[in-house]
Amino acid sequence: MRGIRILCLLAMVSLVLTPLAALQTSTTPASGPPAKAEVKAGAKPAAAPEAKPAGKPAATKAPVKRTEPVVPAYSDIKQRSAVIVFYVWLWFSIAVLVYFLLQWVKEADRVYKAKYYEPEESPRKGNPMAPALGE
Amino acid sequence: MKIDLKKFAAWFDDRLALTPIFKYMTKKEIPQHEHSLWYYTGSSILLFLVIQIVTGIMLAFYYKPTLEGANDSIARIMTEMPLGWLVRSIHSWSATFMIAFVMIHMIAIMLTKSYRKPREATWMTGMMLIVVSMIFGFTGYLLPWDDLSLSATKVGTNIPAAIPVVGKWVTQFLRGGDDVTGDTLTRFFIFHVCILPLVIFAILIVHILLVQKEGMSVPLKDEIAKKTVPALPFWPNFVLREVIIWLLLLGTLLTVSLLLAPSLGPSADLLAPAPKGVKPEWYFLFLFQTLKIFPGNIGPVTGEFVAVVIILVGILGIFFVPFLDNKPETIKGRLFTYLTYFGVIYAIVFSIWSLL
Repeated sequence: MRGIRILCLLAMVSLVLTPLAALQTSTTPASGPPAKAEVKAGAKPAAAPEAKPAGKPAATKAPVKRTEPVVPAYSDIKQRSAVIVFYVWLWFSIAVLVYFLLQWVKEADRVYKAKYYEPEESPRKGNPMAPALGE
Repeated sequence: MKIDLKKFAAWFDDRLALTPIFKYMTKKEIPQHEHSLWYYTGSSILLFLVIQIVTGIMLAFYYKPTLEGANDSIARIMTEMPLGWLVRSIHSWSATFMIAFVMIHMIAIMLTKSYRKPREATWMTGMMLIVVSMIFGFTGYLLPWDDLSLSATKVGTNIPAAIPVVGKWVTQFLRGGDDVTGDTLTRFFIFHVCILPLVIFAILIVHILLVQKEGMSVPLKDEIAKKTVPALPFWPNFVLREVIIWLLLLGTLLTVSLLLAPSLGPSADLLAPAPKGVKPEWYFLFLFQTLKIFPGNIGPVTGEFVAVVIILVGILGIFFVPFLDNKPETIKGRLFTYLTYFGVIYAIVFSIWSLL
């Protein structure tokens, strides 16, 4: 039972740490404009080069109102790969964790059915190992 | 250096007195029967609430609740923040999952009649939580500030106006004026991130304490037969099963959020006419369709007024159902079961009708 608990703990830690490490690499913003007319989420539109006449102060520009919807998308192939790796890892970790948790559930049910923790009916009564277990 | 964990735990226990709570957890038992599966819906709602809080805080770092900044700030979250679109999608989908589970939880309790004595107060606090969750959804729907959310909010905030005497005041209070403007947006944001979280936590604490006090209900037939229902210890047997369900739900939520991430329309124009096909969130669709089927006038009053009164009576009826269905084992009790089935079918049919 202790072994299963340790394995569950390790799987949980890896479930949290691995995707964090993977996503650490995905924070680079995109360098180019989106391919479609819509603004793609995650894709930073390239700044339009502004021609500034020499000697003249830059005119204050009113913000341009966006008319296209923002469609969710990856900023670049690196982010896309990181997210795919994350999801594969997520489901793999969930499968491993669920397996170990099911083992733990089986063991916990068996211990409960055996009335292990009920002093009057416990099979521990007369257990020669009891002193060694600190009981 | 050897760290003595027992001493460390004892130090905390001295100050926080956690032992009685742990003892209670180890002694608590969950009945096991054919409807035990529904016990897990309650904790699943909590899981989605936690996800909502975490993703909501992440979004609030960049969101600007102003007329000029609301839509652009969400566009910024989606285009400039690393995986911002995914965080927004998880927030949106976890709200959907949460309300879906709230409804499943409520229907399960209705059908198993777990609201019966002595759990009337538990049911009533649960109903309050459903209403607050739906208001959360309603206030959150406006925050992207696109044409669809603006129009849906105009329709939604106009509904109370049909109630005589106080109706117009309620509409004005919700909108912060006569029409939906930037003030409405700020107001809805404050409701969404300040007032409603406080309200939901206050009610949630009472609800959970009541559940602990009264324990889980057993099936009605077993209670009538005075049968001893087998039980399962809360810790670790029940908690482990819950963790398995949470993991599967978490995976499903993240996958759905990735594959069906919501887009964002252009910023709303206050002077533009309402776009075609304005629809509220899915959990309001049946109410929306109910309002639509009523004619303009019914006798001396407006059709909208009649619809609002019927909806309010229905909500009050559900709220006080433990007192109305006080003898669940009789014919009257069966009638309430049929009414529940009717309500579920009605909501599904009217929601589909609204989408057609």
